[in-house]
Amino acid sequence: MPDARLWLLWALTALLAATAARNPLYLFLLLLVVLLVGVTTAPSGRRRAALLPLRFAALAIPFAAFFNGLTGHLGDTVLLRLPAWLPLLGGPVTLESLAYGAINGLALTAILGAFTALNQAVPVRELVRLTPRAFHEAGVVLAVALTLVPQTAQTVARIRQAQAVRGHRLRGLRDWLPIYLPLLVSGLERALALAEAMVARGYGAVSERAQPLPLRAVLVVGLLGLSGGWLGWLLAPAWAGVAGGVMVGGGVLLLGAVALAGRAARCTRYRPRCWGIRETLAVLGCGLALAAALAGQPSLVYSPYPRLSWPPFDPWVGLGLLGLLTPALVGETGSERR
Amino acid sequence: MRRVLSALIYALGAAAGLLAFATPFIPAVHAAGALQGERAALVTTALVALALLALLVDLQGQALNAKTVALLGTLVAIASVLRFIDVAFPLPGGFSPVFVPIILSGYVFGARFGFLMGALTLLASALVTGGVGPWLPYQMFAAGWVGLTAAWLGGRRASAVALSRGELALLVVFSAAWGFFYGAIMNLYFWPFLGGAAELSWQPDLTPAQILAHYATFYVVTSLGWDALRALGNVVLTLLLAPATVRVLRRFRRRFDFEVVPHA
Repeated sequence: MPDARLWLLWALTALLAATAARNPLYLFLLLLVVLLVGVTTAPSGRRRAALLPLRFAALAIPFAAFFNGLTGHLGDTVLLRLPAWLPLLGGPVTLESLAYGAINGLALTAILGAFTALNQAVPVRELVRLTPRAFHEAGVVLAVALTLVPQTAQTVARIRQAQAVRGHRLRGLRDWLPIYLPLLVSGLERALALAEAMVARGYGAVSERAQPLPLRAVLVVGLLGLSGGWLGWLLAPAWAGVAGGVMVGGGVLLLGAVALAGRAARCTRYRPRCWGIRETLAVLGCGLALAAALAGQPSLVYSPYPRLSWPPFDPWVGLGLLGLLTPALVGETGSERR
Repeated sequence: MRRVLSALIYALGAAAGLLAFATPFIPAVHAAGALQGERAALVTTALVALALLALLVDLQGQALNAKTVALLGTLVAIASVLRFIDVAFPLPGGFSPVFVPIILSGYVFGARFGFLMGALTLLASALVTGGVGPWLPYQMFAAGWVGLTAAWLGGRRASAVALSRGELALLVVFSAAWGFFYGAIMNLYFWPFLGGAAELSWQPDLTPAQILAHYATFYVVTSLGWDALRALGNVVLTLLLAPATVRVLRRFRRRFDFEVVPHA
């Protein structure tokens, strides 16, 4: 069973690398890596879905190149000139602006590829298990909703069949109303029954308690620090260090409040996860890629302007990014203790 | 005291989220260092996510009893199934049937319920349709605002079960406005880093008015047509679904508004 925490770490590392890099060689390498991981780790029936980013790339890269080429007008290699009277579009269409747009499209595809791999590899219930204990009630809502989604879809099919037997045909938008309304009413009846069952099992006795006053005070101070610090960082460059500290302090207070709220909600794990060598290797792989993204800045950043040139490639940075291949190499991670 | 603190969290959380969305319009004195780097995108994403966390900690502590949990779960499931339609059969432009249930829920059940309905619907539907990504905190915040502001139309105070023509007109205008506004605010988190033509891109040395003018041009060129279809879809669905949905939701609100008072 895949460990959702590791997958989140992996996807965030890929996101950081894709946003930090504007060098097409690294972006292409990153895209290959996330696609390979996506295909090898997706359940056997969903391998084709892991290749969805390629369909996105077929649209996004040409569109981004076309859009930036028509509106960018920067660069030395002029391919054609559009009449100057055309608003926004008038001016030279250059090879460099086309290339810059294509690079942006490539970065977007790499980000989408990473999150597609995450969505394919991690079961929904594992993602729900990540809900912090402070959001116990929101987690319950989410669990109720996710449990009811397949039932709701089945109810739609049942109502359609029942209405079809009565001679109802779907011709226009208005014909969906006799399907939508029974769906809504039956869903609300089910909610009522569920609420009564939950109260009968003692749910309301614990969950109707409001958050304690000190916790709310910490939330207020944290939010003040966070917003004030960000405003200060933007508006008062002389105090940027202090403002950054206030912002980080506010963020830490908020996370502390979430941890405190989580203590009040008691929660037990039926099958706790265990940590093994595969998990450690996956973290090390992500660390390697992160180090490459942070340390390889000079060669990661590339601009095709003013004249298109071959982008630089540092093999060490490329090797570091290959650390993201770890989930494909170590196989299944996060096995549960039984 | 409890109410004052809650109102403060509510206001500050909303302000922090708005600040993150509005960051490109703040005249950044040292913006070359602050905004041009991708780190600004990471900071604003963290800002939105943390503001969302604070709002959720506070909101769920006081709003979520067993009835609300069951009702929210059911409505979120219905809205998520509607989003399946959007994913399975790509609808024109930005049209998505997910917004009208959020608006109507906020309108009938109030601001807190509306915010949770919006945020959790986007989260649940992202989980079931494979839409988890860095855009999700922004989507949750914006959809939460759709549900929250719907409560400002005053639908909770109405005594009649049926939706009046005035209420329907108000909901139609509101859903159309959010059709455009949702797209306009969702562009903001990536717009400063896009590049492109000088007239429609973010630049650090511009005044707020100039930034607004550039963004307006960018919006008209890239998003207006897309969002117009979302607004049109919202209007059609509101006209079609709102009268019956509001009637049903108001009837059920009366049934849900019971209290279990234990014997002393």
